[in-house]
Amino acid sequence: MTSQPRAHGPGTQSGDPVRDSALALVPEILEAYIPLSRAVWLEGPLGPALLEMVRLRNAQRVNCVFCRNARYDIARDDGLTEEKIGWMASEEGREQLSEQERLAVAFADAYLEGPDNLSSDLQAELAAAFSPAEIAHLSLALLLFNTFSRCAVTIGGMPDSLPVMEVSLPPA
Amino acid sequence: MTWFSPATSRDGVLSTVPDFQRGFDALYASLWSQQAMPAAILELCRLRIAQMHRCEVEWQRKSFALPQEQRDQLKDWHRSPAFSAAERACLDLCEVYTADPAAISDAQADAVKAHFGEAGFVALAEAMGLFFGLTRLSLLWQLQPEGLLHD
Repeated sequence: MTSQPRAHGPGTQSGDPVRDSALALVPEILEAYIPLSRAVWLEGPLGPALLEMVRLRNAQRVNCVFCRNARYDIARDDGLTEEKIGWMASEEGREQLSEQERLAVAFADAYLEGPDNLSSDLQAELAAAFSPAEIAHLSLALLLFNTFSRCAVTIGGMPDSLPVMEVSLPPA
Repeated sequence: MTWFSPATSRDGVLSTVPDFQRGFDALYASLWSQQAMPAAILELCRLRIAQMHRCEVEWQRKSFALPQEQRDQLKDWHRSPAFSAAERACLDLCEVYTADPAAISDAQADAVKAHFGEAGFVALAEAMGLFFGLTRLSLLWQLQPEGLLHD
């Protein structure tokens, strides 16, 4: 992974790290992404704590340093703890998660590792635990998380490590 | 139908979350209306990602009209004269991106930027992300190509 950025922001200092980033070079896409991202976090049937677990699972697998070390304040306010985040890393830990949390992580793993190998048992468990709208919400959230973490890796310029940092959604 | 709903298409699945569907449609449309990277090249990359995933439903989808020759020869873009130098640079980046974005070399990124600048490179990175994810969702949801659906 390159440590030198392959694209640079427009030089603005709005205080919004997303709008000051290289993503602002294509404003048509950025201005469509931000309201959808806010809606996915704030307006769907699933809560921010569950979405944050899926986001972090993706970040770990994609190895996006920015995404991996960010913690959304709305997820913390929704009850997500570092202890629970740590449970995702091991099979033993995942047994301590709720049924929905365990299945959401398994859904993310299937997306990330082999989407054509989703077992019929896991399909049945997911369909029993989530409504069709909740699975659509989970899917769309994962799509956005994965898209922009892979984008960050592609653009590059990430440090090798960062401290854990609490962040807020970009303003509308 | 998918394993979790009666929907048979991407639109059908997203219609269960109508507030998001409007936002998603706007984001997808923005890929094709932005000015930094030609839509035809984005469609080539979208189709190459579908090919690499062996995803028939995304291969059959047409988001932007392409010459039939390019569709037919996409797997052999390395050797085919149907592709320009700019298209080759983007397809080269696309293939590595699909396998592992961390494996993209500076030379591959520079080759795209030489044709389209940093803005084109960013537009391509964003679009490839959505195409990659939408292909994976089509597989995960087990969508079938329209022509294979039965009543």
